[in-house]
Amino acid sequence: MTYNNLEFELIYECEYSKLYYNYELMMAICLAEQEYIPISNFKTMFLKVSDLIETFPIKHLIFDKRNLRTFHQPSMEWYFAIWKPIVKEKGLVSHYKILPELDWFEKAVEAGKHEIIKKYGKEILNGLNIFYVKSIEEAIENVNKN
Amino acid sequence: MDIEFYKEQLSAKEDMLARTTKYLTDIRFDLQEKNRELHEAHNDILGSIRFAELIQRSLLPDISILKIFFQDAAYEVKQQIGIGGDAVFIKNTSQGIAFGLTDSTGHGVPAALLSISGSLMLNELTTSIEIESPNVLVKLLNYQLHNTFNSNQHSIAHMEGTVCYYSTKKRKLSYCSANGKAILFNKKGELRELSTGKYSIGENLADEFENFELDIMPDDRLILFSDGLTDQFGGEKNKKFSRARLKQLIITHCEKPVDEIKQILTDEHLNWKGSNQQTDDVSFLIVEF
Repeated sequence: MTYNNLEFELIYECEYSKLYYNYELMMAICLAEQEYIPISNFKTMFLKVSDLIETFPIKHLIFDKRNLRTFHQPSMEWYFAIWKPIVKEKGLVSHYKILPELDWFEKAVEAGKHEIIKKYGKEILNGLNIFYVKSIEEAIENVNKN
Repeated sequence: MDIEFYKEQLSAKEDMLARTTKYLTDIRFDLQEKNRELHEAHNDILGSIRFAELIQRSLLPDISILKIFFQDAAYEVKQQIGIGGDAVFIKNTSQGIAFGLTDSTGHGVPAALLSISGSLMLNELTTSIEIESPNVLVKLLNYQLHNTFNSNQHSIAHMEGTVCYYSTKKRKLSYCSANGKAILFNKKGELRELSTGKYSIGENLADEFENFELDIMPDDRLILFSDGLTDQFGGEKNKKFSRARLKQLIITHCEKPVDEIKQILTDEHLNWKGSNQQTDDVSFLIVEF
Protein backbone atom coordinates (compact mmCIF):
# COMPACT_ATOMS: atom_id res chain seq x y z
CA MET A 1 0.00 0.00 0.00
CA THR A 2 1.33 3.45 -0.91
CA TYR A 3 0.60 6.64 0.94
CA ASN A 4 2.30 9.97 0.14
CA ASN A 5 4.70 8.07 -2.16
CA LEU A 6 5.79 5.87 0.71
CA GLU A 7 5.46 2.12 0.57
CA PHE A 8 3.78 0.47 3.55
CA GLU A 9 4.29 -3.23 4.03
CA LEU A 10 1.34 -5.42 5.01
CA ILE A 11 2.19 -7.08 8.33
CA TYR A 12 -1.12 -8.62 9.31
CA GLU A 13 -4.62 -8.95 7.99
CA CYS A 14 -7.90 -10.57 8.89
CA GLU A 15 -11.39 -10.02 7.52
CA TYR A 16 -11.93 -7.10 9.91
CA SER A 17 -8.64 -5.22 9.82
CA LYS A 18 -5.19 -4.75 8.29
CA LEU A 19 -1.87 -3.66 9.71
CA TYR A 20 0.81 -1.89 7.63
CA TYR A 21 4.31 -0.74 8.48
CA ASN A 22 6.87 1.71 7.09
CA TYR A 23 10.39 1.52 8.45
CA GLU A 24 11.52 4.95 7.21
CA LEU A 25 8.73 6.77 9.05
CA MET A 26 8.75 4.29 11.93
CA MET A 27 5.01 4.20 11.44
CA ALA A 28 2.30 1.55 11.64
CA ILE A 29 -1.19 1.90 10.21
CA CYS A 30 -4.21 -0.06 11.50
CA LEU A 31 -7.10 -0.08 9.05
CA ALA A 32 -10.60 -1.02 10.12
CA GLU A 33 -12.12 -2.91 7.18
CA GLN A 34 -15.60 -3.55 8.56
CA GLU A 35 -18.30 -1.73 10.50
CA TYR A 36 -17.25 -3.59 13.60
CA ILE A 37 -14.10 -5.35 14.81
CA PRO A 38 -14.80 -8.12 17.35
CA ILE A 39 -12.83 -7.66 20.54
CA SER A 40 -10.63 -10.72 19.97
CA ASN A 41 -9.59 -9.46 16.51
CA PHE A 42 -9.14 -5.96 17.85
CA LYS A 43 -6.78 -7.26 20.53
CA THR A 44 -4.93 -9.45 18.04
CA MET A 45 -4.27 -6.53 15.73
CA PHE A 46 -3.04 -4.24 18.49
CA LEU A 47 -0.92 -7.00 20.03
CA LYS A 48 0.70 -7.41 16.60
CA VAL A 49 1.74 -3.77 16.94
CA SER A 50 3.25 -4.38 20.37
CA ASP A 51 5.02 -7.47 19.02
CA LEU A 52 6.27 -5.60 15.96
CA ILE A 53 7.68 -2.81 18.06
CA GLU A 54 10.03 -5.37 19.70
CA THR A 55 11.78 -5.90 16.35
CA PHE A 56 11.19 -2.70 14.38
CA PRO A 57 10.96 0.78 15.80
CA ILE A 58 7.45 2.24 15.79
CA LYS A 59 7.04 5.82 16.94
CA HIS A 60 3.79 6.65 15.21
CA LEU A 61 0.58 4.72 14.90
CA ILE A 62 -2.40 5.60 12.75
CA PHE A 63 -5.73 3.96 13.44
CA ASP A 64 -8.10 4.57 10.56
CA LYS A 65 -11.60 3.88 11.94
CA ARG A 66 -13.54 5.43 9.08
CA ASN A 67 -15.24 2.14 8.24
CA LEU A 68 -16.35 1.51 11.82
CA ARG A 69 -19.97 2.10 12.77
CA THR A 70 -19.96 0.47 16.18
CA PHE A 71 -17.88 1.84 18.98
CA HIS A 72 -16.96 -0.99 21.34
CA GLN A 73 -16.42 0.18 24.89
CA PRO A 74 -14.58 -2.90 26.30
CA SER A 75 -12.11 -2.77 23.37
CA MET A 76 -11.49 0.91 24.05
CA GLU A 77 -11.01 0.26 27.75
CA TRP A 78 -8.51 -2.49 26.99
CA TYR A 79 -6.70 -0.13 24.60
CA PHE A 80 -6.36 2.58 27.26
CA ALA A 81 -5.76 0.54 30.38
CA ILE A 82 -3.69 -2.42 29.12
CA TRP A 83 -2.23 -1.87 25.69
CA LYS A 84 -1.27 1.79 25.74
CA PRO A 85 1.09 1.67 28.76
CA ILE A 86 2.93 -1.29 27.16
CA VAL A 87 3.58 0.36 23.78
CA LYS A 88 4.40 3.66 25.39
CA GLU A 89 7.07 1.87 27.39
CA LYS A 90 8.36 0.34 24.15
CA GLY A 91 8.76 3.71 22.43
CA LEU A 92 5.48 4.61 20.72
CA VAL A 93 5.15 8.40 20.79
CA SER A 94 2.07 9.45 18.88
CA HIS A 95 -1.25 7.99 17.95
CA TYR A 96 -3.21 9.45 15.04
CA LYS A 97 -6.90 8.65 15.01
CA ILE A 98 -9.23 8.99 12.04
CA LEU A 99 -12.91 8.82 12.94
CA PRO A 100 -15.83 8.39 10.57
CA GLU A 101 -17.39 11.79 9.86
CA LEU A 102 -20.52 10.98 11.84
CA ASP A 103 -21.63 13.16 14.73
CA TRP A 104 -23.29 10.28 16.57
CA PHE A 105 -20.12 8.18 16.32
CA GLU A 106 -18.03 11.01 17.71
CA LYS A 107 -20.52 11.38 20.57
CA ALA A 108 -20.30 7.64 21.26
CA VAL A 109 -16.49 7.93 21.42
CA GLU A 110 -16.83 10.94 23.72
CA ALA A 111 -19.23 9.02 25.97
CA GLY A 112 -16.89 6.03 26.07
CA LYS A 113 -13.87 8.17 26.89
CA HIS A 114 -15.82 9.97 29.59
CA GLU A 115 -16.65 6.67 31.24
CA ILE A 116 -13.04 5.50 31.08
CA ILE A 117 -11.82 8.77 32.65
CA LYS A 118 -14.41 8.37 35.40
CA LYS A 119 -13.17 4.86 36.09
CA TYR A 120 -9.38 5.37 35.81
CA GLY A 121 -8.88 9.12 36.27
CA LYS A 122 -7.68 11.75 33.80
CA GLU A 123 -4.13 10.36 33.89
CA ILE A 124 -5.31 7.48 31.71
CA LEU A 125 -5.19 9.93 28.78
CA ASN A 126 -1.55 10.79 29.42
CA GLY A 127 1.34 9.10 27.72
CA LEU A 128 0.88 9.17 23.98
CA ASN A 129 0.37 12.29 21.89
CA ILE A 130 -3.09 11.84 20.46
CA PHE A 131 -4.06 13.58 17.22
CA TYR A 132 -7.38 13.48 15.42
CA VAL A 133 -6.90 13.83 11.67
CA LYS A 134 -9.07 13.49 8.57
CA SER A 135 -6.89 11.12 6.53
CA ILE A 136 -3.81 8.91 6.58
CA GLU A 137 -2.09 11.38 4.25
CA GLU A 138 -2.67 14.19 6.73
CA ALA A 139 -1.18 12.11 9.55
CA ILE A 140 1.91 11.32 7.46
CA GLU A 141 2.34 14.99 6.55
CA ASN A 142 2.11 15.87 10.21
CA VAL A 143 4.80 13.33 11.11
CA ASN A 144 7.06 14.60 8.29
CA LYS A 145 6.63 18.19 9.44
CA ASN A 146 7.68 17.36 12.97
CA MET B 1 -18.79 -13.64 8.85
CA ASP B 2 -20.73 -15.92 11.11
CA ILE B 3 -23.73 -15.43 13.30
CA GLU B 4 -21.46 -14.90 16.34
CA PHE B 5 -20.01 -11.81 14.71
CA TYR B 6 -23.45 -10.29 14.18
CA LYS B 7 -24.50 -11.19 17.72
CA GLU B 8 -21.41 -9.50 19.15
CA GLN B 9 -21.85 -6.48 16.90
CA LEU B 10 -25.52 -6.16 17.90
CA SER B 11 -24.65 -6.42 21.57
CA ALA B 12 -21.87 -3.80 21.11
CA LYS B 13 -24.30 -1.52 19.25
CA GLU B 14 -26.88 -1.78 22.04
CA ASP B 15 -24.20 -1.14 24.62
CA MET B 16 -22.93 1.87 22.63
CA LEU B 17 -26.42 3.28 22.33
CA ALA B 18 -27.14 2.81 26.04
CA ARG B 19 -23.85 4.41 27.13
CA THR B 20 -24.20 7.33 24.73
CA THR B 21 -27.81 7.91 25.77
CA LYS B 22 -26.84 7.91 29.44
CA TYR B 23 -23.93 10.23 28.73
CA LEU B 24 -26.12 12.69 26.83
CA THR B 25 -28.86 12.49 29.47
CA ASP B 26 -26.30 13.26 32.18
CA ILE B 27 -25.08 16.22 30.14
CA ARG B 28 -28.66 17.43 29.73
CA PHE B 29 -29.31 17.25 33.48
CA ASP B 30 -26.01 18.92 34.15
CA LEU B 31 -26.84 21.73 31.71
CA GLN B 32 -30.31 22.12 33.22
CA GLU B 33 -28.73 22.45 36.67
CA LYS B 34 -26.14 24.94 35.40
CA ASN B 35 -28.90 26.86 33.64
CA ARG B 36 -30.90 27.00 36.89
CA GLU B 37 -27.82 28.22 38.79
CA LEU B 38 -27.14 30.85 36.11
CA HIS B 39 -30.75 31.96 36.21
CA GLU B 40 -30.59 32.28 40.01
CA ALA B 41 -27.30 34.21 39.83
CA HIS B 42 -28.73 36.43 37.11
CA ASN B 43 -31.80 37.19 39.23
CA ASP B 44 -29.61 37.91 42.26
CA ILE B 45 -27.45 40.32 40.25
CA LEU B 46 -30.50 41.91 38.68
CA GLY B 47 -32.11 42.33 42.13
CA SER B 48 -28.93 43.94 43.45
CA ILE B 49 -28.74 46.28 40.47
CA ARG B 50 -32.39 47.27 40.85
CA PHE B 51 -31.83 48.10 44.51
CA ALA B 52 -28.58 49.92 43.72
CA GLU B 53 -30.52 51.86 41.08
CA LEU B 54 -32.94 53.08 43.74
CA ILE B 55 -30.02 54.14 45.94
CA GLN B 56 -28.22 55.96 43.12
CA ARG B 57 -31.43 57.60 41.94
CA SER B 58 -32.14 58.84 45.47
CA LEU B 59 -28.77 60.63 45.39
CA LEU B 60 -29.85 62.73 42.41
CA PRO B 61 -30.60 66.31 43.42
CA ASP B 62 -34.02 67.88 43.71
CA ILE B 63 -34.84 69.77 40.52
CA SER B 64 -36.99 72.24 42.50
CA ILE B 65 -33.78 73.87 43.83
CA LEU B 66 -32.81 74.81 40.28
CA LYS B 67 -36.32 76.09 39.65
CA ILE B 68 -35.88 78.61 42.47
CA PHE B 69 -32.86 80.14 40.76
CA PHE B 70 -33.94 79.78 37.14
CA GLN B 71 -37.11 80.42 35.17
CA ASP B 72 -37.25 76.75 34.46
CA ALA B 73 -35.10 73.64 34.65
CA ALA B 74 -35.26 69.93 33.96
CA TYR B 75 -32.89 67.00 33.78
CA GLU B 76 -32.84 63.39 32.71
CA VAL B 77 -30.45 60.65 33.79
CA LYS B 78 -30.80 57.29 32.10
CA GLN B 79 -28.02 54.91 33.03
CA GLN B 80 -27.26 52.09 30.64
CA ILE B 81 -28.08 49.28 33.09
CA GLY B 82 -30.06 51.19 35.70
CA ILE B 83 -26.92 52.24 37.53
CA GLY B 84 -24.03 54.04 35.91
CA GLY B 85 -21.60 56.89 35.74
CA ASP B 86 -23.71 59.92 34.85
CA ALA B 87 -24.69 62.32 37.58
CA VAL B 88 -26.24 65.74 38.05
CA PHE B 89 -24.98 68.07 40.72
CA ILE B 90 -26.83 71.06 42.23
CA LYS B 91 -25.77 73.14 45.23
CA ASN B 92 -27.07 76.55 46.16
CA THR B 93 -24.74 79.03 47.82
CA SER B 94 -25.39 82.39 49.42
CA GLN B 95 -24.69 84.28 46.17
CA GLY B 96 -25.98 81.90 43.55
CA ILE B 97 -26.10 78.33 42.51
CA ALA B 98 -23.51 75.78 41.46
CA PHE B 99 -24.65 73.01 39.16
CA GLY B 100 -23.16 70.56 36.76
CA LEU B 101 -23.26 67.27 34.97
CA THR B 102 -20.56 64.60 35.22
CA ASP B 103 -19.87 61.43 33.25
CA SER B 104 -17.57 58.91 34.94
CA THR B 105 -15.33 56.44 33.09
CA GLY B 106 -17.12 53.44 31.67
CA HIS B 107 -20.58 52.38 32.72
CA GLY B 108 -22.30 49.88 34.99
CA VAL B 109 -21.23 49.12 38.56
CA PRO B 110 -17.68 50.60 38.53
CA ALA B 111 -18.89 53.80 36.91
CA ALA B 112 -21.70 54.04 39.48
CA LEU B 113 -19.22 53.68 42.36
CA LEU B 114 -17.03 56.38 40.88
CA SER B 115 -19.97 58.61 40.12
CA ILE B 116 -21.35 58.35 43.66
CA SER B 117 -17.89 59.03 45.11
CA GLY B 118 -17.50 62.04 42.83
CA SER B 119 -20.94 63.39 43.74
CA LEU B 120 -20.22 63.02 47.47
CA MET B 121 -16.86 64.75 47.03
CA LEU B 122 -18.49 67.61 45.13
CA ASN B 123 -21.13 68.03 47.82
CA GLU B 124 -18.54 67.99 50.56
CA LEU B 125 -16.37 70.52 48.75
CA THR B 126 -19.25 72.94 48.22
CA THR B 127 -20.31 72.58 51.84
CA SER B 128 -16.90 73.30 53.31
CA ILE B 129 -15.92 76.26 51.13
CA GLU B 130 -17.73 79.05 49.35
CA ILE B 131 -17.09 78.48 45.70
CA GLU B 132 -17.85 80.97 42.98
CA SER B 133 -15.21 79.84 40.51
CA PRO B 134 -16.12 76.44 39.10
CA ASN B 135 -12.53 75.74 38.07
CA VAL B 136 -11.48 75.86 41.74
CA LEU B 137 -14.13 73.28 42.47
CA VAL B 138 -12.98 71.13 39.55
CA LYS B 139 -9.33 71.45 40.59
CA LEU B 140 -10.17 70.33 44.12
CA LEU B 141 -12.24 67.45 42.78
CA ASN B 142 -9.39 66.53 40.44
CA TYR B 143 -7.04 66.44 43.42
CA GLN B 144 -9.39 64.31 45.53
CA LEU B 145 -10.32 61.88 42.77
CA HIS B 146 -6.71 61.45 41.71
CA ASN B 147 -5.48 60.87 45.24
CA THR B 148 -8.29 58.47 46.05
CA PHE B 149 -8.30 56.32 42.93
CA ASN B 150 -5.25 56.93 40.79
CA SER B 151 -2.29 57.79 42.99
CA ASN B 152 -0.63 54.35 43.14
CA GLN B 153 -1.43 53.03 39.73
CA HIS B 154 -2.33 53.95 36.22
CA SER B 155 -5.26 56.27 35.91
CA ILE B 156 -8.29 54.01 36.15
CA ALA B 157 -10.97 56.38 37.31
CA HIS B 158 -11.82 59.78 35.98
CA MET B 159 -14.79 61.81 34.94
CA GLU B 160 -15.74 64.30 32.29
CA GLY B 161 -18.23 67.04 32.79
CA THR B 162 -19.14 70.67 33.13
CA VAL B 163 -19.44 72.52 36.42
CA CYS B 164 -21.20 75.90 36.40
CA TYR B 165 -21.79 78.69 38.83
CA TYR B 166 -24.55 81.19 38.21
CA SER B 167 -24.61 84.47 40.06
CA THR B 168 -28.20 85.63 40.14
CA LYS B 169 -27.24 89.19 41.03
CA LYS B 170 -24.66 89.64 38.27
CA ARG B 171 -26.53 87.45 35.78
CA LYS B 172 -23.18 85.92 35.01
CA LEU B 173 -22.49 82.30 34.28
CA SER B 174 -19.07 80.93 35.09
CA TYR B 175 -18.25 77.48 33.97
CA CYS B 176 -15.41 75.03 33.85
CA SER B 177 -15.45 72.24 31.32
CA ALA B 178 -13.51 69.05 31.86
CA ASN B 179 -14.21 67.65 28.44
CA GLY B 180 -17.85 68.37 29.14
CA LYS B 181 -20.47 69.09 26.52
CA ALA B 182 -22.66 72.18 26.71
CA ILE B 183 -24.76 74.30 24.35
CA LEU B 184 -26.20 77.74 25.01
CA PHE B 185 -29.31 78.58 23.00
CA ASN B 186 -32.31 80.85 22.98
CA LYS B 187 -35.88 80.90 21.77
CA LYS B 188 -34.86 82.56 18.51
CA GLY B 189 -32.97 79.44 17.57
CA GLU B 190 -29.53 81.00 18.09
CA LEU B 191 -27.17 78.40 19.38
CA ARG B 192 -23.58 78.26 20.53
CA GLU B 193 -21.45 75.37 21.71
CA LEU B 194 -19.43 76.23 24.79
CA SER B 195 -15.65 75.77 24.87
CA THR B 196 -14.57 72.36 26.03
CA GLY B 197 -11.58 71.88 28.32
CA LYS B 198 -9.22 69.13 27.22
CA TYR B 199 -8.58 67.36 30.52
CA SER B 200 -10.76 64.90 32.41
CA ILE B 201 -11.10 65.17 36.18
CA GLY B 202 -8.92 62.82 38.24
CA GLU B 203 -6.41 61.88 35.55
CA ASN B 204 -3.47 64.04 36.38
CA LEU B 205 -2.67 66.38 39.27
CA ALA B 206 -0.89 68.82 36.98
CA ASP B 207 -3.84 69.33 34.64
CA GLU B 208 -5.09 72.89 34.37
CA PHE B 209 -8.77 73.70 34.38
CA GLU B 210 -9.83 77.02 32.98
CA ASN B 211 -12.73 79.19 34.05
CA PHE B 212 -14.98 80.82 31.44
CA GLU B 213 -17.51 83.57 32.00
CA LEU B 214 -20.61 84.40 30.02
CA ASP B 215 -23.06 87.25 30.23
CA ILE B 216 -26.48 85.77 30.20
CA MET B 217 -29.40 87.32 28.37
CA PRO B 218 -32.97 86.87 29.55
CA ASP B 219 -34.55 83.66 28.21
CA ASP B 220 -31.16 82.14 27.37
CA ARG B 221 -31.07 78.43 27.89
CA LEU B 222 -28.20 76.11 28.66
CA ILE B 223 -28.06 72.40 28.06
CA LEU B 224 -25.32 70.23 29.56
CA PHE B 225 -25.20 66.67 28.24
CA SER B 226 -23.12 63.52 28.36
CA ASP B 227 -21.74 61.89 25.21
CA GLY B 228 -24.09 58.94 25.79
CA LEU B 229 -26.80 61.01 24.14
CA THR B 230 -24.89 61.89 20.96
CA ASP B 231 -23.00 58.57 20.75
CA GLN B 232 -26.12 56.41 20.77
CA PHE B 233 -26.11 54.00 17.85
CA GLY B 234 -29.34 53.57 15.95
CA GLY B 235 -31.47 54.91 13.16
CA GLU B 236 -31.89 53.26 9.77
CA LYS B 237 -28.14 52.99 9.10
CA ASN B 238 -27.15 52.24 12.71
CA LYS B 239 -25.14 55.44 13.04
CA LYS B 240 -24.47 57.69 16.02
CA PHE B 241 -27.22 60.07 17.07
CA SER B 242 -24.60 62.83 16.65
CA ARG B 243 -24.20 66.35 17.93
CA ALA B 244 -25.54 67.76 14.65
CA ARG B 245 -28.85 65.95 15.18
CA LEU B 246 -29.02 67.22 18.77
CA LYS B 247 -28.39 70.79 17.61
CA GLN B 248 -31.06 70.48 14.94
CA LEU B 249 -33.56 69.21 17.52
CA ILE B 250 -32.71 72.09 19.83
CA ILE B 251 -33.20 74.63 17.02
CA THR B 252 -36.49 73.03 15.95
CA HIS B 253 -37.93 73.00 19.47
CA CYS B 254 -36.17 76.03 20.98
CA GLU B 255 -39.40 77.87 21.74
CA LYS B 256 -40.98 75.03 23.67
CA PRO B 257 -40.98 74.86 27.47
CA VAL B 258 -37.95 73.19 29.06
CA ASP B 259 -39.95 70.18 30.26
CA GLU B 260 -41.24 69.62 26.75
CA ILE B 261 -37.72 69.81 25.30
CA LYS B 262 -36.63 67.28 27.90
CA GLN B 263 -39.41 64.92 26.81
CA ILE B 264 -38.61 65.42 23.11
CA LEU B 265 -34.92 64.60 23.66
CA THR B 266 -35.82 61.56 25.75
CA ASP B 267 -38.23 60.28 23.10
CA GLU B 268 -35.85 61.04 20.23
CA HIS B 269 -33.06 59.12 21.95
CA LEU B 270 -35.38 56.18 22.51
CA ASN B 271 -36.63 56.23 18.90
CA TRP B 272 -33.10 56.50 17.56
CA LYS B 273 -31.94 53.60 19.74
CA GLY B 274 -34.78 51.39 18.52
CA SER B 275 -34.03 47.78 19.31
CA ASN B 276 -30.32 48.50 19.85
CA GLN B 277 -28.74 48.34 23.26
CA GLN B 278 -28.27 51.69 24.99
CA THR B 279 -24.68 52.56 24.02
CA ASP B 280 -23.72 54.43 27.18
CA ASP B 281 -25.19 56.24 30.17
CA VAL B 282 -27.26 59.18 29.00
CA SER B 283 -27.91 62.40 30.81
CA PHE B 284 -28.72 66.04 30.12
CA LEU B 285 -29.69 69.06 32.13
CA ILE B 286 -31.48 72.15 30.79
CA VAL B 287 -31.89 75.48 32.54
CA GLU B 288 -33.66 78.60 31.35
CA PHE B 289 -32.17 81.81 32.77
